[in-house]
Amino acid sequence: MSDEPRNATATAATDADAEVTGGFADRWASFRDREISTVLLTVVGVAVFPFLFNNFLDGYTQLATLMLIYGIFAVGFDILLGYTGLLSFGHAVFFGGAAYAAGIFSASVSSSPLLVLFAGTAFAVLMAWIVGFLSLRRGGIYFAILTLTFGQMSFYLAASPLAFLTNGENGFTSVDIGHLLGVIDIHGGVPFPLTMLVDNMLYVFVAVVTVLSVAMANRILHSPYGTVFRAIRENERRAEFVGLDVWRYKLMAFIISAAFAGIAGSLFTIEGNYVPLQSLYWTESGRIVIMTVLGGVGSLFGPLFGAGLYLYIENIVSGFETLGPFWHLILGIVFVVAVILFPNGIWGGVEYGQDRTMAAIRFTRENGIKAALRYALDLTVQKVKAVIQKIRSVPARLFGGEGK
Amino acid sequence: MKVLKTEQLTKQFGGLTAVDEVDLEIEQGEGVSLIGPNGAGKSTFINLVTRRLEPSYGEIAFQGNSIIGMDPHEVVQRGMSKSFQTASIFPELTVKENATIAALAAEHGSFRFNFFRNQNSYPAVDELANEVLESVGLYDERENQADSLDYGNKRRLELGIALAAEPDMLLMDEPTAGMSPDETKSTVDLIKRVKEELDLTFLLVEHDMEIVFDISDRIVVLNRGSVIAEGTPTEVQNDPAVQEAYLGGVEE
Repeated sequence: MSDEPRNATATAATDADAEVTGGFADRWASFRDREISTVLLTVVGVAVFPFLFNNFLDGYTQLATLMLIYGIFAVGFDILLGYTGLLSFGHAVFFGGAAYAAGIFSASVSSSPLLVLFAGTAFAVLMAWIVGFLSLRRGGIYFAILTLTFGQMSFYLAASPLAFLTNGENGFTSVDIGHLLGVIDIHGGVPFPLTMLVDNMLYVFVAVVTVLSVAMANRILHSPYGTVFRAIRENERRAEFVGLDVWRYKLMAFIISAAFAGIAGSLFTIEGNYVPLQSLYWTESGRIVIMTVLGGVGSLFGPLFGAGLYLYIENIVSGFETLGPFWHLILGIVFVVAVILFPNGIWGGVEYGQDRTMAAIRFTRENGIKAALRYALDLTVQKVKAVIQKIRSVPARLFGGEGK
Repeated sequence: MKVLKTEQLTKQFGGLTAVDEVDLEIEQGEGVSLIGPNGAGKSTFINLVTRRLEPSYGEIAFQGNSIIGMDPHEVVQRGMSKSFQTASIFPELTVKENATIAALAAEHGSFRFNFFRNQNSYPAVDELANEVLESVGLYDERENQADSLDYGNKRRLELGIALAAEPDMLLMDEPTAGMSPDETKSTVDLIKRVKEELDLTFLLVEHDMEIVFDISDRIVVLNRGSVIAEGTPTEVQNDPAVQEAYLGGVEE
């Protein structure tokens, strides 16, 4: 059989790899792969984020809070889009639905933020079970259209027939959020040591929920479900024929992603003390698709960055003096450039950079700094030449093949 | 006991009868090949048995129980596995993950409510996945992306996936299609080995007569949806109806 010698070389190569990598690169890789490290990285990230954002990027804490809320939404959406391979165009149902449910619950049942969060999420899960049950009968574009239809249906329901509950086009204004656990004023300031990092309690609350959400998503993706979801994305028929109930797993992916949308929607209500009718509109469903793709489908952290970048352009760049009015255009260009350069989104780009850095470290350790620099120079020259070649070929490609 | 039994199994597409009242019985441990010219209804028959297609009428019993009305995954869970015509694997996952999926389905059944349990807490699944890879000789490739395997190894991986649950019966749709002679030989050896080790019952659809005569205990010949001959390789080879179907069909 022909594969004996090849296997031998493959093993040898792996051994050599492990030896050379060693040290920092190796330790970083093993740290990155552990569950607790993911949680720790998220904690550090959300802790320093408002400080950096407010001081260096013209940000403000309220926007940072909103970024985390949409980040949670996008992380959940990616479980459906990136991992299971299902494109839903109706996730506004779960985000907006949870926002309304949370608002109405706070006004008429209990104003405890934790109960409000729970009620909104539970409502989203219930809706997802129904919408998923009906939409998942069809695949591909039909699934997308069905979910879009359910989204628009819920928008019109909230706009008029259910206006006695939702307050119609004015949005739901009677949101009443009480103190967290009865003592902590969620819209108030923070006690001393925290003041160095952040200035209000709401951010802390949302940040804690974000960390928990990321931890949950991480656990789900490392559970058997994570593997099964990717198997369905890769080859649905084969998954069915190894004996998996693909339909039920798809429904679970749908419900799980809606649960995250529900958490985000409820937080949105708690944060804004108001539910706009807009939160059920189809543009909300479209936004989350763009955020997720921009950040990087099929990664855990990517969608958080996608949500952040989207909201940054929408809220900060739109305030710039000259560029401001064109923020939609800028967003479009950023999206196109990101998708062309990094098909796996911002996070794909980050990972690519990380891999290249690791490879560079390895190469330097092996061959010394001189050889590494020479190699880098060669590579740069090559790349530049390739780009020039590409640009020069544009006229030929535009105006026919004479340039050959 | 009969592992598989079909009675009057029929599938009509509009006016065309693709499978016409086929009665087939397969005994435990038997290796049966289904052959026939193009368009004879072999693939349709396999699709009926795996429940991808709904029969127009007729009965399919697996291990003595009717499987009419079941979903494909339920039939697989009862012990009937299928290997596809093209290497049907999960291309962007690693070789190990491919085997893990099959192991999950074998160990946990078609669905389980366990999305908050870490994969590491199921050592039995991991063990089974490793066993599968060892049995098809792909253990050393486990960290590689399945897409990077050569075609022969992809087919072996696919066979491994199909065998992970130690099925009572394996349906194989042209398992050596598109393989080089070397790859074909090693696949045939692999099939023979698992048949012996697992006492595997199989139903094979194959165009390569050399393979068919090599590994089948019994051959069933299908033409225009009906069984026209049945018997040991030698009997079938000498059957005038078979020669007619293969050689004389052109004139009509």
